[in-house]
Amino acid sequence: MADILEQLEQLRVTERRVAMATLVAARGGSPRPLGAKLFVGEGGRLVGSVSIGGCVDARVVEHGERLLRDNRSERVTVTVDDAEAQELGLTCGAEFDLLIEPISLAGSDPAVTAYESAVRISRSGHTAFVVTTMATGVPARVVYTDAYDGPQQNVFVERIAPADMLVLVGASDVAAALSRLGHTLGLRVIIVDGRERYATRDRFASADDVLVGMPSELVRPFLVAGAFVVLTAHDYKYELPILREALRAPVRFVGMLAGRKRAEAVRALLREEGLSDADVARLHSPIGLDIGGREPEEIALSIAAQLVAVREGKPIARRSL
Amino acid sequence: MTMPYGATVLEHFRRPRNQRTLDRPTAAHEGFNPLCGDRVRIELEVEGAVIRAAAFTANACAICTASASLLTERVSGESVDVASRLTDEEVLADLGADLPAARRLCAILPVRALRAALAGLRRKA
Repeated sequence: MADILEQLEQLRVTERRVAMATLVAARGGSPRPLGAKLFVGEGGRLVGSVSIGGCVDARVVEHGERLLRDNRSERVTVTVDDAEAQELGLTCGAEFDLLIEPISLAGSDPAVTAYESAVRISRSGHTAFVVTTMATGVPARVVYTDAYDGPQQNVFVERIAPADMLVLVGASDVAAALSRLGHTLGLRVIIVDGRERYATRDRFASADDVLVGMPSELVRPFLVAGAFVVLTAHDYKYELPILREALRAPVRFVGMLAGRKRAEAVRALLREEGLSDADVARLHSPIGLDIGGREPEEIALSIAAQLVAVREGKPIARRSL
Repeated sequence: MTMPYGATVLEHFRRPRNQRTLDRPTAAHEGFNPLCGDRVRIELEVEGAVIRAAAFTANACAICTASASLLTERVSGESVDVASRLTDEEVLADLGADLPAARRLCAILPVRALRAALAGLRRKA
């Protein structure tokens, strides 16, 4: 889930002009959220998607190539024929509206400038709103910070929120694999450890921050609403000081890599220190969905799957104890 | 919970003394073991030649935490001169544990941090 700036960076390697297709309305259900984008490069490169693939994206690519040649913008409707879908037993009949516009990657294209500004705002911890007016032939955009309470008609409003944070304590191989997966899932990944030989840029190239020092102090600023805190240290020296605070903080998820017996022992120590049963019950440990697998990448995958389930509010998110 | 290194280590790990930060430390040093990841920061409030208060913060094993707890108890109210001359052996004796060689560094990490904090104080003077 690369953000739009990362997508544009990918495109700039080979493309000078692209058609940007934005999903602005859907009827009959949509697998992708409104605002999803598919870029069609003049040189043929494709980045992103507005559906889960198949015929919709293919038709959008055709429209994109046409509008790039004509150098103009258009609101396009793509219909997945219901009768055809029913006949095949595939009930994906739906209609999608897309705003498709040519943008330049070489100069200071106003659309690129607007999204760059919005992503900078979201990376600074604020929510950006990109408001696109579609009444005229050429889409025009204004970017707002934190709130937009203007008209909703004849405009398309995209909310670009700061990425959810994944704080990984313990720069282990599991953390390295989970850091890569977290980045792919669009999370802001923070690595924390007390050991500088482990918590290196080399091992955590895709992480947003790699912090070395007193872990319980380094973690503190990140114990905020929405954050995922995952302890992969497998060492009580980091677990206990961090859990004391994290389980009382408004974070979304606290998980600890441990077997059942060890997890119970840590819970007992936390209760002994005065944490309430409700606080202790917030701890997910053992962590990860039970998919089997013993390699660091497999364990990381099971944890990443659990984080997605938590984010989506699925009951599978809590593993039975 | 049993502790192979004795009752003193267990008591000071479970109920550490002086585990806090000082409002206005006059000297501080953070010691760490780069391999096991133990980290302990000793903070001192020194007035004249006397340590008025000593405190520590640790993300460390039981031995290291207990050692920092005992050490800060021992040097609070003590003269800087006496605290500076505290030896590794005295710290190990305070723990009352028969530590294997591999765990001695855990126990002496806090006193090394204390010495470094006091050395910094002397450089500032």
